[in-house]
Amino acid sequence: MRIIRRTLDFLYLASGVLAALCLIAILCLIVAQMIARWTGEIFPGAPDYAGYAMAAASFLAFANALNHGAHIRVSVLLNAVPSRPKKLLEIWCFALAAAIAWYFTYYAYWFVYWSWKFNEVSQGQDASLLWIPQSVMVLGGGLLALALTDNLVHVLLKGEHRIVRDTVESHGE
Amino acid sequence: MTELYAIILFLFVLFFLLGTGVWVGLALMGVAWVGMELFTTRPVGDTMITTIWASSSSWTLTALPLFIWMGEILYRTRLSEDMFKGLSPWLARLPGGLVHTNIVSCTVFAAVSGSSAATLTTVGKMSIPELRARNYPEKMVIGTLAGAATLGLMIPPSLALIVYGVTVNESITKLFFAGVFPGLVLAAMFMTYVAISSYTSRDWNPTVERGMSFSEKLANSRFLMPVFALITVVIGSMYLGFATATEAAAIGVIGALVLALFQGSLTWHSFRTSLMGATRTSAMIALILAGAAFLKLSMGFTGLPRALADGISAMELSRFQLLMALLVFYIVLGMFLDGISSVVLTMAVVEPMVRSAGIDLIWFGIFVVVVVEMAQITPPIGFNLFVLQGMTDHEMGYITKAALPMFAIMVLMVFVLIWFPEIATWLPDNLRNRPS
Repeated sequence: MRIIRRTLDFLYLASGVLAALCLIAILCLIVAQMIARWTGEIFPGAPDYAGYAMAAASFLAFANALNHGAHIRVSVLLNAVPSRPKKLLEIWCFALAAAIAWYFTYYAYWFVYWSWKFNEVSQGQDASLLWIPQSVMVLGGGLLALALTDNLVHVLLKGEHRIVRDTVESHGE
Repeated sequence: MTELYAIILFLFVLFFLLGTGVWVGLALMGVAWVGMELFTTRPVGDTMITTIWASSSSWTLTALPLFIWMGEILYRTRLSEDMFKGLSPWLARLPGGLVHTNIVSCTVFAAVSGSSAATLTTVGKMSIPELRARNYPEKMVIGTLAGAATLGLMIPPSLALIVYGVTVNESITKLFFAGVFPGLVLAAMFMTYVAISSYTSRDWNPTVERGMSFSEKLANSRFLMPVFALITVVIGSMYLGFATATEAAAIGVIGALVLALFQGSLTWHSFRTSLMGATRTSAMIALILAGAAFLKLSMGFTGLPRALADGISAMELSRFQLLMALLVFYIVLGMFLDGISSVVLTMAVVEPMVRSAGIDLIWFGIFVVVVVEMAQITPPIGFNLFVLQGMTDHEMGYITKAALPMFAIMVLMVFVLIWFPEIATWLPDNLRNRPS
């Protein structure tokens, strides 16, 4: 059990760090493109690469963001009901969310599979093989689904989810 | 008739999923799935992935995490102290005294941050204790802070405007500049209110500041120079057409890092937490946008947006009546949803309606931002109220009452926007040519 717990937590952390690196990559790509333009050079495909990095930064951070309570939900009802119905409500939310995330991951997998099978190439100047950037959808979607399932199991067994909300960091609005 | 039942079922699922607390982005995907199953024979899963991939790997979207990161870095610098120290000598002698620092600091920080909660925490952590120590009426301190922090979403950069621009396919740079004057007008209206109530309020008895000479004032505000330089570079580069919104965001991040470095507040810890915070916040918004992109497609198949747009034009509502209806609609929606979610959730339906009514989409972006921002200071889900509750330990009811005058001022602002649309449209129409 302990090893599974550790592995999962490591996966959430590692994917979050990877997403953060993608964010830095976006910054570098945009700066490089700007400098190229000012000096009269061209950096072909920079917008496409930045777009891929954007997708990677988003998808890979989904699970990490979930565990830190960053994802927004309407909590009026959750806060209003007593603890027993609240637990049922949490089970419903995690179960449904996990189902949606697994559904997404399943189709993302086939999407990437066909992309790889037919060697689909980007229409942009970058002309990169699309299955490479697209596979972050499978990875990130799968990790989110895993994290939601993980929380669901935790609610079922221990009665509480594992999301720790960090108020200082909630700068979404 | 079956069509109607299907639409009712679709809307019921939408409100049910959101209401029971399913995470907004995933709830939108679920609802969109139901809509696709009800109204089309297309392969739903494949359509979902194609749509979501196209919307999440967009170049325009990259401005979002960068602007969030810039705000996160500056939040962790000494900026809040510097702003209070630098601005208070200039504002102390105005009627209303140092309460104005709340509003002006919020305006300044709004120009480097795209979020109202970040603006609120950054300004409040310094100004609340300082103003309390000087015996300013508590209600005034809290109310103005709650109201002025909403400028974070009006004055560029603004996360809500990026999200809006991406959703309706309008230029983010234009939207940013559309927000400049309305933001300043709103700030001026808040300040007028403070000045007036300093004469009329009975418990207005703050400690009077000792006068400072001009050179002393200048010496005090020298720390503000880097921030103003950063604002000038970020906004100026967009205005003069040297940079797109995304590039300005990249310049902003580097500028913020340099500023933090020179201040000595850039440590490995602060760098790491700012980066992780920005990654999570942008992932949160990206999940909502992914869900919304799929919902927009699905919504199109239901025929609901078209029907509503036709219905509205058949009713021959005037532009004013339509806007009033939307105003009420967004205030009610904002009681349960946060600003960004309510923008992306409704745009699939509202956009065709607004376009067919001949309303300028840039102007409408500012209108929507003011309206959803009012929701940030109304219960039960006023995000700014929660943040203030955490910072001051007051009850929700007390904070809500303190923020009520600001809510009224923002309603007035909506009418000002309707009567003088040029406030929002003049600046974007006079932009220099931007690089493509």
